[in-house]
Amino acid sequence: MKAKDRVMDALDVETFLVSASEAEARALGLLLMHELGFKDADVVFVEFRGCGARIRLRTYMNRPGDTYSWQEAHLR
Amino acid sequence: MKPRRVLLIPLDPVHDVGLKMIHRHLMEHEHQSLLLAPDLPVDEIVRSARSYAPEVVLVSRTIGYGAGELLSRLIDALDQAGVRDHARVAVGGMAVRRELAAELGFDAGFGPGTTVEEAVAYVEGRQADNAGANPLRERIDLTSGHSYEWKHTRIRDLAAEIGQEALDWAMRRTSPGVRRAHLRTAMLDGGGEASQEARTEYLKLADPMILAGYLRGEPAPRTRFMTREEIGRGAADPKDAGSGAEAGPAEALPARWKKPRPAVFIQYGTGCPLLDSAHIKVAEAWGADGVVHFDPSWGARREGFLEGHVTHEEDGTVITPENLRLISASRAPHTLWQVRAHRGLNTPETVVLAASAGADLTKINIAYGSLGAGTDPERLTVDGVECLVLAAQHGLPYDVVTNEELCGVPSYKAFAAMLTVAWMGLYLGGRPVLQPLFCNSPEVMVGQQMDDNYVDFNVAKVIALRRIMDAPLWPGAPVGFLTHTGDRVQSATTTALHAALASSLGVDGVSIASSDEAYSGGPISAMARLDTLRATRESLRFFGNAGIAPTPQALEWAEILVERIEQTLEAAALRGSFVSSLYEGVFGSRQDGAYPGRAGRGTVTMR
Repeated sequence: MKAKDRVMDALDVETFLVSASEAEARALGLLLMHELGFKDADVVFVEFRGCGARIRLRTYMNRPGDTYSWQEAHLR
Repeated sequence: MKPRRVLLIPLDPVHDVGLKMIHRHLMEHEHQSLLLAPDLPVDEIVRSARSYAPEVVLVSRTIGYGAGELLSRLIDALDQAGVRDHARVAVGGMAVRRELAAELGFDAGFGPGTTVEEAVAYVEGRQADNAGANPLRERIDLTSGHSYEWKHTRIRDLAAEIGQEALDWAMRRTSPGVRRAHLRTAMLDGGGEASQEARTEYLKLADPMILAGYLRGEPAPRTRFMTREEIGRGAADPKDAGSGAEAGPAEALPARWKKPRPAVFIQYGTGCPLLDSAHIKVAEAWGADGVVHFDPSWGARREGFLEGHVTHEEDGTVITPENLRLISASRAPHTLWQVRAHRGLNTPETVVLAASAGADLTKINIAYGSLGAGTDPERLTVDGVECLVLAAQHGLPYDVVTNEELCGVPSYKAFAAMLTVAWMGLYLGGRPVLQPLFCNSPEVMVGQQMDDNYVDFNVAKVIALRRIMDAPLWPGAPVGFLTHTGDRVQSATTTALHAALASSLGVDGVSIASSDEAYSGGPISAMARLDTLRATRESLRFFGNAGIAPTPQALEWAEILVERIEQTLEAAALRGSFVSSLYEGVFGSRQDGAYPGRAGRGTVTMR
C-alpha cells in the first residue's frame, strides 16, 4: 500500500510561485506538477499580483467510476 | 458512576483553560478534582501527586518547545514516586500527539480538538459519546413549528384562484411521466406477474436510449453498469480503508454549531454512487445535517429511468432504483436526504423512487422546471401536480425552488410562482418549504441591489415571504450563487457568510456549495465539500445567536417585493390560466431571460 492510494479523489497542490505574469505562473504550475510526477494536472485557480501568483493545482488520483485505490488498499 | 479522584496538571505558564473546563465538568458531576497551579516544577507536582493519591492524572501541555523532554521527566518522576501504581496518567494539549504520548509511556494521549466529553469519558473509563446521544445530531423536521398560515390574505386568495385553476386543469390530463410513475409503483409493490406487466407497459413509454438499457443492457452514453464485484462491496465507507485503527470522531457538534436550525445541506453527485457514499460519510463526519442528490441534466430530457447500478456519469449521479438504495444505505440515521424532482420528464417517478428508497425530502417547482430547466410548461404542470399528490401521499416534504432567478427572472415573479405552487401543495395535503435563492442574480446585477452588500436584498426576500405566510424557509440552492470563484478561500468564505446570514434570519435549512463550485475542469472533490462545511461551522460558531444587522434598505425592498408579488399574481389571475401564464411570461418572460422549455411538448393527453 502506498500513501497516495489513500487519496480519496483529488490531490491539490497550493503554493505561491514567483512569476512575471499569470500565464507564466500557469505554465510553471503545470511544470511543477510534472516534476512531482503528476502527468495529468490542471490549474484550479490562479491569482497573479505583484511578484507572483497564488496557485492551486490539481490532479485526480481517483475519478468517479474508477476502482478506488483506497478501497482496494483495504481489501488487500 | 463511582466518583473518581482526579489530579489535573497544567505544565504551561498560562494555557490551562482546557484543564479548567475539565475540572469544572468533573466537579459538577461529583468527581473529586484537584487542579494544580500552572507551570509548577516537576518535583513539586510529584509531591502533590503523592499526597493527593489520585486515580487519574491528566496532564496538559500547549507549548511545543521542549514538550517531549518535560513530559518525559514528569512521567518518569511519577513512575518513581509510585503514583502510577494506582493511577492512570494521560496527557493532552496542542503540543501532544497520540504517538508522542505512547512513545513517552503515558497511558493515553489526547491531541488538539479533544472535547471535554472525551477527557471525562477517559476519567470515567467509558467510550466518549460525542454524537450518539447528542440531540443536535438527530434528524431534523424542517417543517415543524410552522402553521402555514397565510398572513397576506390578498396574496393567499390570488394564489388560491390561480392554483385551483391549475389543479383542475392538470387533474383532467395525464402524461407519459404520470403513467410511468404509476407503473413504477406497481413494479415496486407488485410481485411476479403484476410487476412484469407493469414493466412491459413502462417500456412502451420509455425513450429509446432508456429502452436499450432494459432490452440490450446498453448503458447511457458516458456511463457504465457497475460490476458485480463493485456492487458486492456496497457503499464505500472510507473508514473501512483505515489501517485497522478505530474510526476518527465525528463532529461533536454539527455545522450549524449549537443552534437547532438551520439544517446544513451539502450537495453530492460525483457520478458514481460508491463515491457519493464516501462523500456523504465524509460530510457527515464534518457536521452536515443533510445531503442533496444531484442527477445529470440528460436525465431530465429522457422519458424513463434506467435500472441497475450505473456509474461514471460526469454530470451528476444517474437516478436508478438501485443507485438510490445504495446511496441511502450509507447514510447515518440523523442525515436528511433529498432527491430532487423539480424538472424534466421523470418528476412524478422521481418522487416514487425517492420515497421507496427512504428519502426525507424532494424538490418540486413547476415554474422553475418550465422556465429555467427546459421542460414544456404544459407537461410540467401535469407532472408537477402529480408530484405534489405523490409527495403528500408519501409524506415527503419538498422545497419549492426558485432557481429561475439565475436565468434572470426577477425574484418577485419567481416568488409569485413559488407561492402558487406552495398553495397547491398545501391544498393537496403536502408540506412545502419555501426556497428563496440567496444569490448575486442577474436581477440584482442590473438593479445594483448588491453593490454595497450581499445582506439587504437577501434579508428582504425572507422578510417579504414571512409577511406573506408562516412557512418553513430553506435558502439555497446553494446559497451564494454567482458570488463564488475558483479561489477556495474566497469561495468558502462567501458560502459561510451566506450561511451565517441564513442562520441569523432563523431559517430552517440552508444548502451550501463546495469550494469547487466555480471549477469546471473535473469532479467536485471531497475536500472541497469540507472547505465550505468547515467555514460554515466556523462562521455559525462566530455569530452564534448574535445577528447580522441589515440596513433600513432591506425593509424597503421587502415592501416592494410583496407589492410586486401581488401584482404578478393579479396578472396571472387576470389571465385565467396558470399554464398560459407560464408560456406568456407572467412568471418570467423572454426579456427576463426565461424561456418556456420544449422537452415533452405535445405529450399531454386528456385522462
